Amino acid sequence: MKIFVAAVIALSSLAAQAKDTVRIAFIGPLTGGNSAIGLGGRNSADLAVRQRNANGKAKYQYELVVMDDECKPDAGVQVATKAGSDRTIVAGVTHYCSVVAMATVDTFHRFGLPTIVWGAVLPDITYANDYKEIHRVNGTMINQNESNAKFMSEHGFKNIAVIHDTTDYGKGHDKYFTQFIGKDGGKIAGDFGVTADQQDFTAELTQIKGLNPDAIYFGGLTPIGVRIRAQMDKLGIKAQFDGTSGIVNDDFIKALGPLAEGTVAFREGASAEKLPRGKEFLEAYNKQGYTNPPEAYGPFAYAAAGLLMDTIEKSGPDRKKIIAELAKVKDRDSIVGTITFDDHGQNTVPVITKYVVQDGKWVAWEDSDYARGKRKLIGK
Amino acid sequence: MKGTLWAALSAFAAGAFAYLLLRAESQTAIAVLLAGASVVAVVAARVRKRSALRKTAATAGGAASRPTATADSAASLPAARTAEPASRERMALALFVAAMVAVALLLREDDFALLLVARVLIAIIACLGLNVQFGYAGVVNFAGASFFGVGGYTAAVLSHSTHWPHLLLLFIGGVAAAGAGSLLLLPVLRTRGHYAALVTIAFALLFRTFLEVNDALGGPQGLKLKEMTMGPLHFNDPIELGAFEGSFYLRYVLFAVLLAVLFYLLVQRVERSFIGVALDAVRLDEIAARCFGLSLARWKIAAFTLGNFVVGVAGALSAFLVGFIAPNNYAFSESLLFVAILLLGGMGNPRGLAVAAAIVIVVPEKLQVIQEYRFLLFSALVVAVLVFKPAGLLPRPMRRLP
Amino acid sequence: MSLIGQYLMNGAMLGMMYALVAVGFSLFFGVLDVIQFSHGDVVAAGAFAGLIAWKGLTALGVQAPALLLLGVLAAAGIATALLGVVFARYVVMPVRSAPALNVLLVTLMAGTVLRECIRLFYPSGSQPQRFPALLPSTGWDFGGFHLRFDNVILLTSGALLIAATHVLITRTRLGLAIRAVAQDEETARIMGIDLKRVVLITFALGSVLAAFAGVMDGLYYNEVFFEMGLLLGVIGFAAAILGGLGNLYGAIFGGFLFAALQTIGAVALPFASAYKDVFAFGVVILLIAIRPTGLIGERASERA
Repeated sequence: MKIFVAAVIALSSLAAQAKDTVRIAFIGPLTGGNSAIGLGGRNSADLAVRQRNANGKAKYQYELVVMDDECKPDAGVQVATKAGSDRTIVAGVTHYCSVVAMATVDTFHRFGLPTIVWGAVLPDITYANDYKEIHRVNGTMINQNESNAKFMSEHGFKNIAVIHDTTDYGKGHDKYFTQFIGKDGGKIAGDFGVTADQQDFTAELTQIKGLNPDAIYFGGLTPIGVRIRAQMDKLGIKAQFDGTSGIVNDDFIKALGPLAEGTVAFREGASAEKLPRGKEFLEAYNKQGYTNPPEAYGPFAYAAAGLLMDTIEKSGPDRKKIIAELAKVKDRDSIVGTITFDDHGQNTVPVITKYVVQDGKWVAWEDSDYARGKRKLIGK
Repeated sequence: MKGTLWAALSAFAAGAFAYLLLRAESQTAIAVLLAGASVVAVVAARVRKRSALRKTAATAGGAASRPTATADSAASLPAARTAEPASRERMALALFVAAMVAVALLLREDDFALLLVARVLIAIIACLGLNVQFGYAGVVNFAGASFFGVGGYTAAVLSHSTHWPHLLLLFIGGVAAAGAGSLLLLPVLRTRGHYAALVTIAFALLFRTFLEVNDALGGPQGLKLKEMTMGPLHFNDPIELGAFEGSFYLRYVLFAVLLAVLFYLLVQRVERSFIGVALDAVRLDEIAARCFGLSLARWKIAAFTLGNFVVGVAGALSAFLVGFIAPNNYAFSESLLFVAILLLGGMGNPRGLAVAAAIVIVVPEKLQVIQEYRFLLFSALVVAVLVFKPAGLLPRPMRRLP
Repeated sequence: MSLIGQYLMNGAMLGMMYALVAVGFSLFFGVLDVIQFSHGDVVAAGAFAGLIAWKGLTALGVQAPALLLLGVLAAAGIATALLGVVFARYVVMPVRSAPALNVLLVTLMAGTVLRECIRLFYPSGSQPQRFPALLPSTGWDFGGFHLRFDNVILLTSGALLIAATHVLITRTRLGLAIRAVAQDEETARIMGIDLKRVVLITFALGSVLAAFAGVMDGLYYNEVFFEMGLLLGVIGFAAAILGGLGNLYGAIFGGFLFAALQTIGAVALPFASAYKDVFAFGVVILLIAIRPTGLIGERASERA
């Protein structure tokens, strides 16, 4: 016991000598089916904190408190309560899963904890409430699908089959894409919901084959995206594969090999590879030796953590002041493009980047051989 | 007298331990506390075993010699020990409840700790229900989380579409769960063992997919609940009584304690009554039970329905507590957690449940530091406990014939 | 018409995989009267072991697909056989006298351990991994029906494997011992059968079948995932139960039946295809209610 007390005293005196420590929460799915993205987000936020701490000019020493929401609302509310009720935590970078983000907005509001959502895309998270605590750096699925539908109809894909997983992510994408493609003069040939742990899609795909669409739109994440694309090939379906932000990661390409070529997908935010700071981020990330890649939403977690720390440097580690300061965020430069929060804390300038797989890499559409006409999308 | 003192002491110790663990933040402190608890548990088990041996040696007859601590002790006829006399037992219960309430009051401003306590209590209530099915009647139910979900969804939908008092909604949640269970009655009655397990597993998988696909119930995006109110009580307002201030979760905890005690007494009553004896008979030997004129169907239906009712009530309360429900909460893996609580606690023993529920809910939470390795460690832990202590931590005490 | 051919082929592939997994469940139940619920995750482990072997062999410069395939199968088989033996010896045997429920939970949790290990320790294991196409991918088009050569090979070899298992069980001394233990353990022991040995061999055998199912899954879908065993395990179990536990034919029949139900649910019924699992499991519940000991009944007697 004595040793224990001594250790505590020693530790606290050590901290007192250095800068004040400020604690920030990171919440995301670290276990289960979505853990790849959660771990990528965690590593990216961790990187942001490390870089800040290495920077001698920072006023505070930052500590990232990592929590697992398991992509389940009850677990999410539990860790949100933990973060919110812990007064040493002044802000949070929170949630990839939309259901969890929906479940926790009330909790964060109750505890007055300023949070920035780093990956959940459901519009309601910021727009269905007036909570000043909730912000979001990434765009909503509305923005993404608007661009997607426009792109598809512009490139002459009019007859489109939709496969989406039955989670909030997939269903939301299905809803907005269907809405926008209708406006743009396209037609949905068939709409298929599949469960997120499904292995075999041959039954659905055989039906789609009968419908003979120009393209298959897929709303969902990498694991089943890979399966669907691979099984399309097995059944000899020759249609353009069009995905959402959930498949924009290296694993999609690694898992499919040459089959991934020509897949298009859309993601909010500027492409990290194109911005100078984005490149630095990727290099630093690789140097840190994390075992998981940052995945599609890593840059957002990094940007959110960075934005929070910038704010804290200005306002001091006080929840209310941070909220006031975050409301002023306008035209702030970040690795995912400029950030401006509207009254709902939503980033209003979400750039949507169009991606296409070319030679085993996600390439921004404008820079690709496809846009230059050197290669052609399937069926065009 | 000595017994009362012991009970008071152990209630105090349990309360103090719970308080320390819930407040503990540093990893060292948590590790020390958990290690300490395991040592105490092992030592206590040793001491108890030795004294039990001495007692059997003293009574010498050997007729009622306890089966050695093999796995079979849970399955063999609970024939010995009416435990303590009823009055003393009631006293012990009261002491433990007092200790828990005291802990809750001490923690009154710590929202997070109170939320955890509330979730443990709700898990205890749900498992009390499952215990009637598994532990007494021997009806397996791997769809616990589904019935929990039926209760939750019922409460969520009704809290929006009606102005019925929320206390009534909890009750209706239970009734709805029991009703949903009746869909499975026929297959559950007709099958046994693994076949019955499959029926409930299939139901659990089917139920979750159904919730996700079906938009009428909010689909995958889930449903928000209204704040729980009971008369003038608004559960989500912070508590301010003069100088006394407390987290809003305190109300939930106190209410959950009340419900847990009620259901504990109910379940205990059932066990001690002729119903309990009938259920034991049905579980242990169907043919013998039938020979004695017991209707298997009637008792199994009774146990299955009562159990689902309790689970449903717990589910409804949980939905109000979290304030939001979605299909992800009611997956098959959640049902497994309930089963894990039951088995770890020692099938058929409501007291073991309390310990096991606390372990299954609080330990993974306190393991947050190891982040993504949490689930791996937890599963390995459960395997280890079940391999080395097949009857659970606190197996059901034997029934002693008067 | 051509679509029907396609559906039949899809269903047959699925059914074969389910049947291979279900046969394992049935074998284990036969000798030990337990459900080895980590079996699905053993399937995944087999696929990943095969994948590692493929990576190793290609790194060594092996090019010939036949050689690679042999290496993949051998690695998957050996790894799962070992896993099966380890699970049997250290997880299932110690708890076999405990209530059936304990065994179910212990093996489920052991499966979780295995699954989490793949997720955490295989490089970026939480994402799907590409499985190489080692079989010729040529095929024939019959109108809209695309018959692929590799599917034919997989289907045939799966059938051969099941037939071989059948011969092993019914025609060899080892099979005799397995059947003896399944029928009456005590008598079998009195007859001088080494129970432990027979149990371990049976678990190794069942797990090798799982390995083949895993590799088949990988070759068919060209993709493996750490969670692939989860649903496969439950479905295999459901198939074994549907057919009647301890009955090999029942397991095979159950596997194909479940695949048929899924296909019908996705295609032929007037609701969204997402309901197909709701439909398939609903029918399973119904069938079990009608035939409580499986369609091809387990020999049921009240008192053994």
